[in-house]
Amino acid sequence: MNTLRLYCRSMAMLIKSQLQYPLSFLMQTLAQLVMEGGELLAVILLIDRFDRVNQWGPGDLYFFFGLMSVSFYLTEIFGRGLTGNFPSMVRNGQLDTLMLRPRGILTQVLCSGADPRRIACIAVGTVSLIMGSRISAIAWSPLKVLMMAESIFFSFWLILGLFMVEAILTIHSVKSIELANTLTYGGRSACEYPSDIYPRPLRILFTVVAPFALVMHVPASIILDKPLFGWPVWTGFVTPLAGLVLFFIMYMLFRKALKFYRSTGS
Amino acid sequence: METQYRGAVLGGLICQTFFGLVLVAIYRAMYAGKPQDMPLSNITTYVWLQQAFFRMLLSTDTDLLDRIRTGAIAYDLCRPLHLYGYYYSRVLAMKMTGSILRALPMLVIAALLPAGWGMCLPASVPALLAALAALILGMFCICALENVTMGLTMRTLDPRGVQALLNLLLMTFSGNILPLTLFPDSWQRAITLLPYAQMLDAPIRLYTGEYALGQAPAVMIIQLCWTVLLVAGGCLLWRANQKKMIVQGG
Repeated sequence: MNTLRLYCRSMAMLIKSQLQYPLSFLMQTLAQLVMEGGELLAVILLIDRFDRVNQWGPGDLYFFFGLMSVSFYLTEIFGRGLTGNFPSMVRNGQLDTLMLRPRGILTQVLCSGADPRRIACIAVGTVSLIMGSRISAIAWSPLKVLMMAESIFFSFWLILGLFMVEAILTIHSVKSIELANTLTYGGRSACEYPSDIYPRPLRILFTVVAPFALVMHVPASIILDKPLFGWPVWTGFVTPLAGLVLFFIMYMLFRKALKFYRSTGS
Repeated sequence: METQYRGAVLGGLICQTFFGLVLVAIYRAMYAGKPQDMPLSNITTYVWLQQAFFRMLLSTDTDLLDRIRTGAIAYDLCRPLHLYGYYYSRVLAMKMTGSILRALPMLVIAALLPAGWGMCLPASVPALLAALAALILGMFCICALENVTMGLTMRTLDPRGVQALLNLLLMTFSGNILPLTLFPDSWQRAITLLPYAQMLDAPIRLYTGEYALGQAPAVMIIQLCWTVLLVAGGCLLWRANQKKMIVQGG
């Protein structure tokens, strides 16, 4: 609890510090809005030309896009410390100071950065979710709302876990960020679309290694009343737990990697 | 410079192959539902050529950005050089080495992929030659555009917002996010005239035969016009900047 309070306080501080330059903040947030809007535009143009993919109609595709967008950028807001600050902490040896303090390393890293500009991307994602829900005429029920909330919650942990892959790789070698991007940003671009449109190797990758399919696509398809693989409704509540499992595996590996860490020291 | 970080190059290559595969998979799935007039192999070739020459679009002279920010650009003003020409050739060299080193291995990978996934051969030998010539012209064009962007950057203190907007325009209308050939047909007539389409889209269309050989001269005239316009605009902008430049720092 104490850790959580500490975390909330540093988040508030970080956001306050970013708002010290309101015009710059506004411009950058606007840029984010346009950028994510561009991504959505690409999906709209594709749907305009092709109408549908397999059993997925336009509304379904907007829904999948929105779900990914909201979850991914939610994680980026709070996980900025891992992707933005951590690599430079390792490179210039600043990580040493974190090791001396009586708190978990991961907590401190997460406390060190926030990226509130991403709120603009979440806005675009929300618009896409609403569009999808309207066009596909989803019959919302409390159960479906709960399922979606759960999906977003566990997607957060899944993506945070994938960000940790990046962090682990930075400890082991200095210049392999692009490789880790394959899983995170590649996974984001790919899983904006339901994973059953992909050939088997990619589908396995996104189900077993980076389980976007289990955490997002299974519950989303159940919400859309077109269950993936024909699975029953209760699976929509169980499969997202894969996100938390991945996070814990990565957390263990992260702790192991920290033992390997040799300071650059100077 | 690039050859010094072989690991990074390899990582980048794997990353781009993966992105290319994902894009091809998406377009394949969409084509399976509703085939288009344009053959699928044209789209896959488009994707791989875009991936191969990705570095040509998005690599900026970070050195120059730093100099603008720190004020070290003042030293460059003292040098007996034509400032615009100096930085134009710098960015040209950067883009050329960067994209050749990335493009060659990427093209080999794309050629080795199974049929329907990889890249197909050019429409004809003359088409390949025309595409190469257009690619070179496109390179001049992107460098000129880059310098216009830099000129605008010099005017603002925090360039991140403006640059993000300009980069989005670049990525969207050069066909990197979505092949321009998949944009609505009515849009394409206008989009292909923009400078962004001259960089990679025009050479790729010549390669796949989307543009017939007879159209090649017209395409190259448009490319040339934009290059001249952008260079002239950039020169004027830089000269105006030089007159009213306030150097940062002390």
